Amino acid sequence: MSEQWMFYFDPNRCIGCHACSVACKQRHDRDADADDWRTVSHLSRGEYPDFEEVPISMSCMHCHDAPCEQVCPPDAIIKRDEDGIVTVDRDRCIGCHYCAWACPFGAPTYDDEGLMSKCNLCLGEGPGGGHGQPERQTPEDGGPTPACVDDCVGEAIKAGPQSEVMAEATEKAAERFEQGAYGKRVIVEPLEEDADLADAIREGDEPAGAITYEG
Amino acid sequence: MSDVDGFDLTRRTVLKTAGAAAVGASFAGCLAGGDDQPAVDPDAETETAYGNCWMCHHACGQELTVRDGTAVDINGVDEHPRGSAGPGTEGTLCPKGQAELEKLYDPDRITQPYIREDGELREADWDEAFEYTARRLEEFADEHGPEQLLDATSWSTTNVHEYFWGNLYGTPESIGRGRHVCFGGPHLSGNLMGLGANMRFVDYQHSDYIIAWGRNIFESFAGQWEPKGVLEALENGATLVVVDPQHTPTAQKADHWLPIEPRTDGALALAMGHVIIEEELYDEAFVEEQTHGFDAYQEAVADKTPEWAEDITGIDAELIREIATDFAEAAPAAGIALWTGVGQYAEAQKASQNVFALNGLVGNIDRPGGFRMWQGPPLQMNPFEERGIDLPNNAEGRQPALQLSPEYEDYPFRHTTGIGHTVVPEMVDNGHIMGMVNHYDNPLTDGSTQAWLEAIETMDLVITIDAYWNELTRNADVVFPEAIQLEKDTLINYAPTWSAYHDRRWISASKAVHEPLGDCKSGYEIYKGLAEELGWGEYFPWESEAEYNEDMLANIDYTFEEVAEQNFVLLEEFEYEQWEENGFPTATGQFQFDLDEEGGYAESADELGIDTAPEWIPPGTWGDEPDDEYPLHFYDTRSVFFSFGADQPLEHLHEQYARKHGLEGEDYRGNYLVMNPRDAEPRGIETGDMVTVETAAGEGDEPAMAYVSERTQPGFVTAEFGFGTGNSHEEGMNTMWVHDTQHDPVSSQVDRHLAAEIRPAGGD
Repeated sequence: MSEQWMFYFDPNRCIGCHACSVACKQRHDRDADADDWRTVSHLSRGEYPDFEEVPISMSCMHCHDAPCEQVCPPDAIIKRDEDGIVTVDRDRCIGCHYCAWACPFGAPTYDDEGLMSKCNLCLGEGPGGGHGQPERQTPEDGGPTPACVDDCVGEAIKAGPQSEVMAEATEKAAERFEQGAYGKRVIVEPLEEDADLADAIREGDEPAGAITYEG
Repeated sequence: MSDVDGFDLTRRTVLKTAGAAAVGASFAGCLAGGDDQPAVDPDAETETAYGNCWMCHHACGQELTVRDGTAVDINGVDEHPRGSAGPGTEGTLCPKGQAELEKLYDPDRITQPYIREDGELREADWDEAFEYTARRLEEFADEHGPEQLLDATSWSTTNVHEYFWGNLYGTPESIGRGRHVCFGGPHLSGNLMGLGANMRFVDYQHSDYIIAWGRNIFESFAGQWEPKGVLEALENGATLVVVDPQHTPTAQKADHWLPIEPRTDGALALAMGHVIIEEELYDEAFVEEQTHGFDAYQEAVADKTPEWAEDITGIDAELIREIATDFAEAAPAAGIALWTGVGQYAEAQKASQNVFALNGLVGNIDRPGGFRMWQGPPLQMNPFEERGIDLPNNAEGRQPALQLSPEYEDYPFRHTTGIGHTVVPEMVDNGHIMGMVNHYDNPLTDGSTQAWLEAIETMDLVITIDAYWNELTRNADVVFPEAIQLEKDTLINYAPTWSAYHDRRWISASKAVHEPLGDCKSGYEIYKGLAEELGWGEYFPWESEAEYNEDMLANIDYTFEEVAEQNFVLLEEFEYEQWEENGFPTATGQFQFDLDEEGGYAESADELGIDTAPEWIPPGTWGDEPDDEYPLHFYDTRSVFFSFGADQPLEHLHEQYARKHGLEGEDYRGNYLVMNPRDAEPRGIETGDMVTVETAAGEGDEPAMAYVSERTQPGFVTAEFGFGTGNSHEEGMNTMWVHDTQHDPVSSQVDRHLAAEIRPAGGD
């Protein structure tokens, strides 16, 4: 294998706007109501005003160990040697949903034909568009920038060969990745928490400015 | 892989919050597609074309990929003044901007003219439509006079409209967006104090301390240079303070979130001023040399201690001291971003005056990282003059009825503003306004919807230029379908000032990417056609909008083609501290704490019995205060997916809006009524339930779906505007249906805050 391609995500720069999801749909000419290949989740905890929320943008992470590939009965899912991108041969897919159960990220979705479709890292366009494509080129070498990366308002999403993505990550994120964070499938920046609230929550205090409400 | 800094990011959690319903949706079978892009040959060569985003009118550059004559992809333009963080940075588009691709091919758009015949709208060709409209306009002028036609064309990408309606037809009545329906209080205060109408935008990249005051910059921005600039500032170590009753995406990234009691911003600002003066942290030289009315300000804040403000605002007094001190110490590299959050309630004018006073106090005006006095390009805004056309001014001598007729003596805002949105239905009742021309700006989303619907029925002539059917277009006498931004040659001439370039003027333009859908025409072509029919052809010698734009560039060393070719060009530099040379554009030529020298304002203040200086005006003085019957504060809000109530028909946007709330599995694509569990539980309401809103004006037009979340303050409920009766996307509720002429009496700004009760809608 030459180098594994990876995604990078920085929740500190994600503003939760869903531009990545819309960009993905546009690039792959998919209907608005089709399943998102790149989803944005809004995770929250706490009670007002000790409340925190964080947006998480996720897609197929093209895992090095590709659990979906391992369970696919008709061998329709391919973990490519040349760039590590996981593609789907829709001629072989039988729509059994095994891959959805195996995937750690809930990435595979099933379209009107009942066939699996998911992110192909913009290797090609449309469902199955990655299958049989030549090796993924970086934008410097003439390849397309993935739509979600291209249109991320906060530059929170990056993608590329592992060494390039690692070089752009902070030391802390790279270190955590090396230690096995997220199964070494995606590089995620540590969350810089809201200092006031985080301290208050840790100490069990009410943060400054808290308001007490009745009922 | 479950530890993401305390947030459980396992497959189970993510599936629960986002994926599960999506899997459900996959079984729903074949749904009609939202994308009606023509099929293209995937192997065809691609070309690049440019646009300037018109979805929220803030002009982020758009780069289109065109293949086989069809636009197949849309992206941002690198280094664009509005869509990037400036030099060396990438440009992007927000979801709205990306959805312009959907709009380009949207089969639901109005694509040909319609005229009213025997009470019914029927399709017409352009010749018929121009002829019919010209005749109706002539009859209207004969019967009522041009002064009874309301020009409601406040948001257009070409300024030809104002010359057509003002100079030629001769109406003096016009509704403006900033002053009347968007942020009237801050607009008035900002202008009169000397900050101008662009008082919302901080010189972010150079700032050490940013206060987003009632502003949600990461979700509702005037071009993406704003969130991008704030992110850059944060990476450089700046402090971000958010003052907001809601935990917004901006609050998520803040160092300090001040969950203020609604409408008490003015008290917080006065207390901050008190601290800054007490601690002698203000900019004495600036105050001494550049300001007017400091004595009155000092007096206004003398007893406004943080302890006093704590009781009112719910913000801890010590925290107020800390914020005030840190803000003043960071100044002048400290900026306040304030817009509709402190703009859309009845006491907003004075509240914003109190906040803006802080700028004068700490001397952050037109200094790096503070408030920036942006300079627009030196456009020739009057192309008629450039062509040597002797354009008449037929509105001259015709006074707006509001300032003439005794019926309106109870409205103090008649001294500060020509007209108010909420007063229009009354003026129609009184026979002072009998017709209206509208352009891409639906007044039915902006306040008093029920009264406006009646007013439209009563008017003799309603002309509208729009893209989608709604209650206004359906009730119009003439409907002109205008080409969207990507279908015409566009020069961004409206407010091209603030940007990611703190010291450069700039201009942005684009050529049509595509032929107009159906029979749509550009705004210029519509006015030219109408003018020829009215016998004013001599005033419109330009063949096309591009040619008209060329004359707008008379003072700039670029042709329209040259600008459009590269999408934007940067023009000359301008310096900080422009007041040093130019002073302030106010009655005294100084920054004004006190507005006593502003005649119209002073008259309004006198009638209301309020001070001309900063002052604490408690909520409930003019606006609704919650009570036992209507115990909740009800506000409408903006999400990142919609702007000006115009984008709701676009499926990519309402779909993602549903997904953001985890409600994509529900068969509902309207707006969400956001409420805290502490309010929802006693009312038996859960996320996904349909609820109705009720105010003193009655019950909402339709139910909305509840979204119960800790992100909003108990007692504070919100919904997104632009849905429901009257709007282009009728599913959901119209937040302005329950509005009954409430407004800020000084600025005429529609008061979008109401006391309300929320009830389960019952049934399914």
